[in-house]
Amino acid sequence: MNEENAYYWQKVVNDKKINLDLKKLKEAVFNGFKGESDNYKQRLVYNLLETIRNNDQKEFFYVLLKSINKPNKDYMNLLEQLNNNYDVMPEEAFINFAYTIIIGIMATYGGEKNE
Amino acid sequence: MPENLEFSGNWYVDIGILGFVKLMKEVYCWDLEKLKEMISRDHEKVYYGYFPFAYFYKWCSDRNENVDKEIVSSLVKNLEESGLQNKTEELFNYVWFKYICKLFTNLWVENKLKILHKKDAYDKKDKVKKQFNYTNSQKYLQLICEREKFIYELQKNHLEDIKKILENEKLKMVGYDEIKYLLNIDLDNNSYPTIPNKVKELIAKLKETHSDIENFLKEEWKKIIQTEKIDEKDSHFYRLPIDSAFYKNFLFFNNFAGNLEQKQSFYYMLSSNFDKEEILDRIDKTINKFLPSESEFINISYTKLSTTIFKNQYEYIFVYLICFTYGIENYKNLGYVVFYSNDLAFTYSVNKKLKLYKEKIKVSTHTNKIFKVTWQQIIDFLVEYKSTWSLENMYIISYQSLDNQFQKGVRYIGIHKLQASLLLDDKIREALNTRIKCKNASDEGDRCWLLEEFIQGKPLYPIILNHINLTLTSDENFNWTSCLYGLLVDAYIANFRGKNKTIFSDNFFDNYKALVKEIKEEVRITTFFSSLISNISDEIDTRKRVARELYTALCGKDKKMFLNILLKNLNENTKLSSNINFQKWILEKIIANDTSFEMHCLILVMSLLRG
Repeated sequence: MNEENAYYWQKVVNDKKINLDLKKLKEAVFNGFKGESDNYKQRLVYNLLETIRNNDQKEFFYVLLKSINKPNKDYMNLLEQLNNNYDVMPEEAFINFAYTIIIGIMATYGGEKNE
Repeated sequence: MPENLEFSGNWYVDIGILGFVKLMKEVYCWDLEKLKEMISRDHEKVYYGYFPFAYFYKWCSDRNENVDKEIVSSLVKNLEESGLQNKTEELFNYVWFKYICKLFTNLWVENKLKILHKKDAYDKKDKVKKQFNYTNSQKYLQLICEREKFIYELQKNHLEDIKKILENEKLKMVGYDEIKYLLNIDLDNNSYPTIPNKVKELIAKLKETHSDIENFLKEEWKKIIQTEKIDEKDSHFYRLPIDSAFYKNFLFFNNFAGNLEQKQSFYYMLSSNFDKEEILDRIDKTINKFLPSESEFINISYTKLSTTIFKNQYEYIFVYLICFTYGIENYKNLGYVVFYSNDLAFTYSVNKKLKLYKEKIKVSTHTNKIFKVTWQQIIDFLVEYKSTWSLENMYIISYQSLDNQFQKGVRYIGIHKLQASLLLDDKIREALNTRIKCKNASDEGDRCWLLEEFIQGKPLYPIILNHINLTLTSDENFNWTSCLYGLLVDAYIANFRGKNKTIFSDNFFDNYKALVKEIKEEVRITTFFSSLISNISDEIDTRKRVARELYTALCGKDKKMFLNILLKNLNENTKLSSNINFQKWILEKIIANDTSFEMHCLILVMSLLRG
């Protein structure tokens, strides 16, 4: 992945720089949502897309967190990722972040995999 | 050692070499190969024999002097037969008197005929001026005196009649131009019935005395051509009437130099004799108006820039330096233009082809036409030859005017090494060598030539975006390959620039070969991955609708909206949404790419339209 061409969210916690890794994030989302039904995920994606359209970061995280607020260990990795990266972001970084999550969810649709 | 006729890398020397090649072609019809052959056979004959004559021949013909074309063939014949090998001075003297002086016969005589009054030949101290003082000057001045009587008579007593003949009511003085006019009219017929006979007689006598002077001068000039000798005392009288604003500092153009001094100075110049002619040892404004003067050369603090360095490389360095102006072509609407690269054959060939278009360009009022034509020539040449390093070092130099002190409107247009390297690849070049329809295109017929925009370093994305809009609004087809290559080249250049802040990266020395390879690989991958989007719907109308929506978002440079529309439409198609390859491509090329995502977005739109 051409990582130098994207706006990445970087924050400093206790003098430690934390970078947003879109590829890792997508994997975490993929692993988290793979057990859900397509109908549910399609509706979720639609809702998330609406929040991005309105540039509503608060609502986006609200909808996302609500959907993963389950006692399911599949979401552990994703929760960890969000724990590290969740913050109020500049718009460019948020767009990259949010669409990566959506792409990750869509990748789990039950259609045929062309790997 | 025979001269190796190749470029040096110094553009002012190189354009001089180009000028030399063009001059020899114009006068003797030798192409580059023939010239090189002549030089390797007998370089002294070329530089001391053929060149001096060609130089003055062109000087005369540029000033619309009536030059006898047969003199050229006579020179070629005699030089080929002459046994003056290895005798440079003798060879040069022979050409100087027998041919160069002969060339100037009419011009020299005319120049001397312009002295109408005897007093003009004398200075303030009542001494005969240098340029009129020679062995036979008494006779010459006497003849002038005889003609002067009639001029004086016409001026004093018959000015009104002269006014009528010349149809010029404002005439105050009878000058040389008026006399020339009077000499050419026929007073014997009845076309001037009101002019008294006395005036007609006076004009007839004027004609007679004038032709006496003319014949006398012609004879005098002929003598020096025949004897190949001029007395030192007579040197100024026989001065060649030459001048040049560009090379004023060369002694042979100087007004104070007589014929012998002109000859000697030209010879010293040919043989680069710095001891005799100090001025030759300086590379500065003296020899080329594009260079600063010696005192303005701020980067040379310790030593002066000497011509000696160049002499080690080129034996006849000054031959090239004085041909500088001949290297540049004058185009009527555009001023002086030359195409320059580091390869002589390439530069010569492009300039030769450009000259063929001169007439076409003359008619056009479009000032950029020359560049359009130039690019076309460059591309033609590329297909014929493959001159990698010359392509990387191309410039177009143009200027409006030059005089002794100032240069006006000088422009240098270079072609980037990056663009040049990409052009060398057949596939990329062929793909870009297309004219696509585009609104508000500068080209006639609303078409835009991708290659030209590319060479000029302009982005192709806006043009292709415009082109796709036409496809969306009308049912016109678009050229998939050209647009795809154009967009990917643009994307790579944008990424490349973002990454490499320094000019001299590894890629620079590798001629960007890696980049060319990457672009071609990218074309292959993109063609496949982007084509997957056509699975979004089997209906062409649906695909067109989505394409239109995506295009609108793209026009607003709105990545957020573009992805929103794309993903919303994808969301209904679970099969395509979960296609790992497609997903990966979108994430990598659009979401995680903020430098060149627009190009990839447009490729998606194109894929939808392509179906």
